[in-house]
Amino acid sequence: MESNKYDIVIVGAGPSGLTASVYAVRANMKTLLLDKLAPGGQIINTNEIANYLGVGTINGAQLAIQMFEQSQAAGAEFDYKTVTAIEDHGDTKVVVCEEDGARIECNAVIVATGTRPRRLGVPGEDNFAGSGISWCAICDGAQYEGKDVVVIGGGNSAVEESIYLAGIVNKLTVVTMFDLTADPLACDKLRAMPNVTVYPYQDILEFLGEDRLEGVRFKSTNEDATERTVTCDGVFEYIGLQPMAGFCESLGILDRGFIKTDPQMRTSMPGVFACGDIIVKQLRQVATACGDGAVAAHNAAAYVESLRK
Amino acid sequence: MITEVNTPQYDALDKKGPMLVEFYSKTCGPCKMLGFVLKDVDKSNPDFRIYQVEFNENKELKDRCGVKGFPTLLFMKDGEEVSRLEGLKQKPVILKEIEKIKT
Repeated sequence: MESNKYDIVIVGAGPSGLTASVYAVRANMKTLLLDKLAPGGQIINTNEIANYLGVGTINGAQLAIQMFEQSQAAGAEFDYKTVTAIEDHGDTKVVVCEEDGARIECNAVIVATGTRPRRLGVPGEDNFAGSGISWCAICDGAQYEGKDVVVIGGGNSAVEESIYLAGIVNKLTVVTMFDLTADPLACDKLRAMPNVTVYPYQDILEFLGEDRLEGVRFKSTNEDATERTVTCDGVFEYIGLQPMAGFCESLGILDRGFIKTDPQMRTSMPGVFACGDIIVKQLRQVATACGDGAVAAHNAAAYVESLRK
Repeated sequence: MITEVNTPQYDALDKKGPMLVEFYSKTCGPCKMLGFVLKDVDKSNPDFRIYQVEFNENKELKDRCGVKGFPTLLFMKDGEEVSRLEGLKQKPVILKEIEKIKT
């Protein structure tokens, strides 16, 4: 990575950040794209994406790799960095990185850090996170072949992953705070599976077990407040997403953890733009993320050009 | 150097010195992206041996290695496991583990 100043630094290399990188480079901006893990963001955990047009039905990771290759071919620089802060020095912004204390200067920053799976925060969760409790059925489902598993959540991800898991495990129990809220066809399919039991309107109380996860205790939110314990070998949590913009807190651009933007993807701080799942918006999809990325890069480039006049 | 191996090929490897073994699945997104990161690791460490084992096609080997999910990285020295990482990990974290087994 070159050490001199960039026109635009993009933080986060999911579909939104990758799209922004292509638009920024094509606007003749010296562009650096950063991600703490690998390109792709949330889509790498999605087995099939069927609503992003032009590529048919595609594996999420494969789409991520194709997007990254297009970004590289366009000329965007990429590096592995965990960003801990963005400093505002007027026309210059400084992106501060964790790994080697690197301070990267630029004129404009586009924040595209997206979200990560939300956690319950109940007793026992930390003890079994990654060893009994998982957030990726495609990654960890195979180890529960013929065993009993609990899925927590009732939205699209929870129901889709439950259908996948029910084909592998012995008994699948779905516990959700409300009723199943996913696509009705998917909910019907799940309910019809012979090894699936659904407990709607429940609060999770704790995860049980000493050396290994042995069960989940939960309580009905109905008037009877019945408590139940389901024994299981594994748990998969799908209870929504939380924004990853803590490093922007000092900039004063957050709204309940997400970043508030105008239709040009500008934040309240000149020179700082945001796009994709991290912004306050209605629909978080690959298609909308890419659209946001294009708008953010277009306006970030216009901002950088305005500084040169 | 990254090499895909099956169980007989793995058992026949000369395990002297440091090496990294990745258990992955063809259907797993984080595995695909970890493979992407490992290619980058390989670029900066061309002489370091990285072996990839398909989880579902080598079940006896993954059981023998105590691997439960994928992706799983086993950092090995002289045939013994020194440390392991589970899930998609950052390139600097992987490089740090490699440096440990190289010394």
